[in-house]
Amino acid sequence: MVLELKKPRPVWQIMFSTHHTDVGLLYLVTGLAFLFMAGVLAMLIRTHLFFPGQNFLISDSVTFNRIFTVHGLTMLFLFALPVANGIGNYLVPIMVRYKDMAYPKLNAIAFWMNPIGGALLWLGFSDTSWVSYAPYSVIRAPGPAADMMIFGLKILGISSILSSVNFVVTILKCKHPDLPLRKVPLFAWSMLTVSLMTLVAMPSYAAALIMLLTDRLGVSGFFNPTAGGDPIAYLHLFWFTFHPEVYIFLLPAIGMMYELIPRFSRKPLYSQGSGVFAFVMLGMIGFASWGHHMYSTGMDFTTKVVFMIGTLAAVPASGMHVFNFLATMWGGRIKFAAPMLFSVGGIALFFSAGAGGVLNSAMPLDFISHGTYWVVGHMHLFLTGTIAFGFVGMVYYIFPFITGRMYNEKLAKIHFIMMLWGTVQVFFTQHLLGLEGMPRRVYDYPAEYSSWVQLNQIATVGAWILGGGFVAFLINLLYYSSKGKEANMDDPFGLGGKYYYPHTAKNPHHIGY
Amino acid sequence: MKRIIAVSIIALIALALVPQIHFAHAQAADEKSAKQYINLRAEVWNEFFRMTTAAFTVGAVVSGTMIWLVWRFRESHPKNKIPTRWEKLDDPTTGTYEKEGGH
Repeated sequence: MVLELKKPRPVWQIMFSTHHTDVGLLYLVTGLAFLFMAGVLAMLIRTHLFFPGQNFLISDSVTFNRIFTVHGLTMLFLFALPVANGIGNYLVPIMVRYKDMAYPKLNAIAFWMNPIGGALLWLGFSDTSWVSYAPYSVIRAPGPAADMMIFGLKILGISSILSSVNFVVTILKCKHPDLPLRKVPLFAWSMLTVSLMTLVAMPSYAAALIMLLTDRLGVSGFFNPTAGGDPIAYLHLFWFTFHPEVYIFLLPAIGMMYELIPRFSRKPLYSQGSGVFAFVMLGMIGFASWGHHMYSTGMDFTTKVVFMIGTLAAVPASGMHVFNFLATMWGGRIKFAAPMLFSVGGIALFFSAGAGGVLNSAMPLDFISHGTYWVVGHMHLFLTGTIAFGFVGMVYYIFPFITGRMYNEKLAKIHFIMMLWGTVQVFFTQHLLGLEGMPRRVYDYPAEYSSWVQLNQIATVGAWILGGGFVAFLINLLYYSSKGKEANMDDPFGLGGKYYYPHTAKNPHHIGY
Repeated sequence: MKRIIAVSIIALIALALVPQIHFAHAQAADEKSAKQYINLRAEVWNEFFRMTTAAFTVGAVVSGTMIWLVWRFRESHPKNKIPTRWEKLDDPTTGTYEKEGGH
């Protein structure tokens, strides 16, 4: 593959480099590779659920459980986090006007933990679901698979902590003295927020994984009811990390939209201050709502109310972002190239997913939707509808700067239409499936429930459309990175203006550009 | 723009207040009909429909605004042929000239 057309280098030079753009590129390539691998698993799951009572594609329920477990783990830990880190590595040092990340070697080490952790998750192919709830993961989850998953997640967790330390130090300590923190671009703010969140949230899950492992080895019984342990304790430790983690996945995508929307609207951002405020608010509120995942575990009423209010507190901050985007577009002269299309689509779906979240957070409604396909639809609408849209938009934006060539705009637009259509069709339908009472994570369902059959088939067709969109994306990435037209590196999208962060990164001595 | 912001804020306040009034009425009715049978399922679904109505109303306003924005401010719109005042700057995204420091 031709990388950096004007200064081609052998791939090994990039692999063993510690320069932030090279590490960023490695993060991006591995993250996208894992996206396609996990996407294949998603297609298997949805195709299997097209007909009830069939097992020609996935022969048994344990295999089905393994497939959706690895799909979830891969999408979250091996696609969402690495791609955010990749873009962060590429842009943050330039945004804060520093020559590299604060600790370049640590940065490279943090990246190289990803393929190792990924290999453990994929070679183990555990069946515990991505949440690995006790007591199943302690008592019944089979052999090396679950243990490999625990080790894989530990490695990925350490990688997250190392890269977070690097981002925090780079932004707070290495930024140019002439650049006040409040003027640091919002994408860098989003990376700062999520890095601080990771440092606070991750230790809880790290502890939970160690306890899970020692429980599995039989030397402790923290979560094992037969040894006097409490499985609910695992849920608390898990969700204390993973509700904030939702924002850790989300905020970089929002930060990327803050980079793209003013650029393609050809006007200044409406409000830098409100963007910073909303990031910080979401960073704090993210820790006030983990209990809403556990309303049905026998929590007392007052605690539930506290978590309900804590969850709803995210609405104004999220609304500030949406308002900021709309106000930025207002009065601009918007060029709808692929990055902008994905940003606008992402905002629309972010709003829809958020509305579903508000309903989820209301206690009585949560009891209806708990453990149903509603939750699957809601979670995926956030992950695909907002996070993946933001990431894909940013990948299209940064593509000419990395490869020196332009992607095919027509193919990218086909990708956008198929991805938007598919996302709406699959995940809105899954909300309805949940309201019809279909539980999530089931291998099969009765053919007599005609509404379940119809809705599953609609969702599966949507998934195929979504998958088709990603095939277009793959062609754009692979074919046009070597055969695409040479890009005008000064202004690849024809937008005017002089400042393009990624282009500046081509020069290793970009400090202060 | 300011008028739109004001209308949006009023609409949001109204959306927040209407359910509160409803709950207050419901609470008063509950006190009067103490010890009466409550169909929890019906209550929950009522709550669901109320909240979906609120969510869909806000969603329609935001989505409608976004669709209009996309249509009106696209570069191919007849009124959008002339470059905006920010496009004369070195960096339209921050509204600055190079001498002012860019980002």
